[in-house]
Amino acid sequence: MAPNIRTESLTVSYRRTVVLRQISLEAVGGEVLALIGPSGCGKSTFLRALNRLVEETPGAHVTGRVFLGEMNIYSSAVDVTELRRRVGMVFQAPNPFPFSIFDNVAYGPRLRGVSDAAELRRIVERSLQEAALWDEVRGKLRRPALTLSGGQQQRLCIARALAVRPEVLLLDEPTAALDPVSTEKIEELVSNLRGRYTIVMVTHNLRQAARVSDRTAFFDDGSLVEVGLTRQIFTAPRDPRTEQYLTGRYFP
Amino acid sequence: MNQGRVLHWFALLVALGAAIVFLGLLTDTIREGLPHLTWQFLTTAPDERRGGGGIAPEIVNTVVMVGGALLVTAPLGLVVAIYQAEWQGRVHDGGVIDQVRATWLSVPSVVVGFIVYRVAVAWWHWPLSLATGGLALAVMNWPVMVTVSISALKRVPHAYREASLALGATRFDTVRRVVLPAALAELIDGWGWALARLAGESAALIITAGINVSAHWSVWGPGETLAVYIWYVRTEGVGADAGGVAAATALTLMMFIAVTLWLSGRLADWRRRAGH
Ligand SMILES: Nc1ncnc2c1ncn2[C@@H]1O[C@H](COP(=O)(O)OP(=O)(O)OP(=O)(O)O)[C@@H](O)[C@H]1O
Ligand SMILES: [Mg+2]
Repeated sequence: MAPNIRTESLTVSYRRTVVLRQISLEAVGGEVLALIGPSGCGKSTFLRALNRLVEETPGAHVTGRVFLGEMNIYSSAVDVTELRRRVGMVFQAPNPFPFSIFDNVAYGPRLRGVSDAAELRRIVERSLQEAALWDEVRGKLRRPALTLSGGQQQRLCIARALAVRPEVLLLDEPTAALDPVSTEKIEELVSNLRGRYTIVMVTHNLRQAARVSDRTAFFDDGSLVEVGLTRQIFTAPRDPRTEQYLTGRYFP
Repeated sequence: MNQGRVLHWFALLVALGAAIVFLGLLTDTIREGLPHLTWQFLTTAPDERRGGGGIAPEIVNTVVMVGGALLVTAPLGLVVAIYQAEWQGRVHDGGVIDQVRATWLSVPSVVVGFIVYRVAVAWWHWPLSLATGGLALAVMNWPVMVTVSISALKRVPHAYREASLALGATRFDTVRRVVLPAALAELIDGWGWALARLAGESAALIITAGINVSAHWSVWGPGETLAVYIWYVRTEGVGADAGGVAAATALTLMMFIAVTLWLSGRLADWRRRAGH
């Protein structure tokens, strides 16, 4: 069963600027939680705090707590490598490695010491199937990943993330760089992954949030303004800022 | 015409002028050197007494010293570059290594040769030899290697590193499994370019490797390279056709450089294609 991921008073600053203030938010196991909000409000930073990737940024400082299931991921006993296996991430611009399709998907398993060819093949096939890319690339696994279309590359990145059997998926505007057809495929894929993974997805596309998410959280200027069932947020937001944002963007 | 147009034409004119001068010199060298450029010329030793003879030892010396210097400095430069670009870069930019490198890059090669002479020959009592010359080339080349490696690493998209880290790779794994393979084409290009540059070096080698070849080849024996030989024949040239010998040697050196650049370019392209 996919675990909950929950932040308690999460505060992140870069050098001296605070970009996330006291965020307490929970993604329930197996749900799709959408994060929306104006550009620069801290959505990506929030995601990157959930797999501690934010620590790779020079000058970033995190306080507060983040629980994956029962485990505080910022406690010193946590193995970051293992944490990032459990919490997969997909970025805004598709970023496959300049390797073959196969080697991209096999990257994570190989890191963890899987070297048996038959097992790697099984993992690669399973992951590509799960990412709804298998039918398009079967028999072409030796091709460079960068020869795929943008939409295929993004699904490859999802397959690459799934190959290490994560429990949580962080998607940072996964369709921002894609055409409508590829976007639809990714949305369908997210709907299919729902339930098996806890998914936190940042999106600027409000319709997308409305279509695929169970709950939606609205961020503004580093703070969590409100979170609720997606339908409620979109039809009856409690906070005037949410309403302004939704109407401003939705019905200009 | 706007300024961009003017600049464009100006640049074109300068390039054209340079090309014409270069072609002129090249045809001159070819005309003078080609008659000398025989198989025998490439495979025999120079004739010390009567002048003339071949350039076989010079070819070997060039390959050994330049290759040796590159073999030693390429990995060292890469390690320093990795430390700077992949680790230190996160903490603070610039720093002592950068300043030393920038200064070192601007030191004239004769001066490097002189310093190496002072240290290796005067203090350590190394002979004027291939080893000492190779050391001078290595000393000259290391900041180049660091610079070339850093620029190759910097051209690897940051998104690759993030993808790797997000999959649970350590920084070390990320460098080894993603950054280096992705940078390899650029690195090969840089190594080829450095090799070509070193092959043309003469000033530092005159002081450290000597201006003759020994009858019994050894890394501890004197080792004149092609470039040094050209200088030697041109200035001290004895024998009937010093000009022809120098031109033929120059042609050989140019071919060596052209082949090096072509090979490294092909190798780099092949690596590049492997990823795309
Ligand atoms: N590496 C960094 N160093 C300093 N400040 C940063 C860094 N990354 C982001 N910021 C700042 O932190 C704030 C939040 O950035 P973040 O990328 O999390 O926003 P976002 O909500 O994802 O925006 P967008 O919708 O445009 O992707 C911004 O003001 C940004 O300028
Ligand atoms: Mg963002």
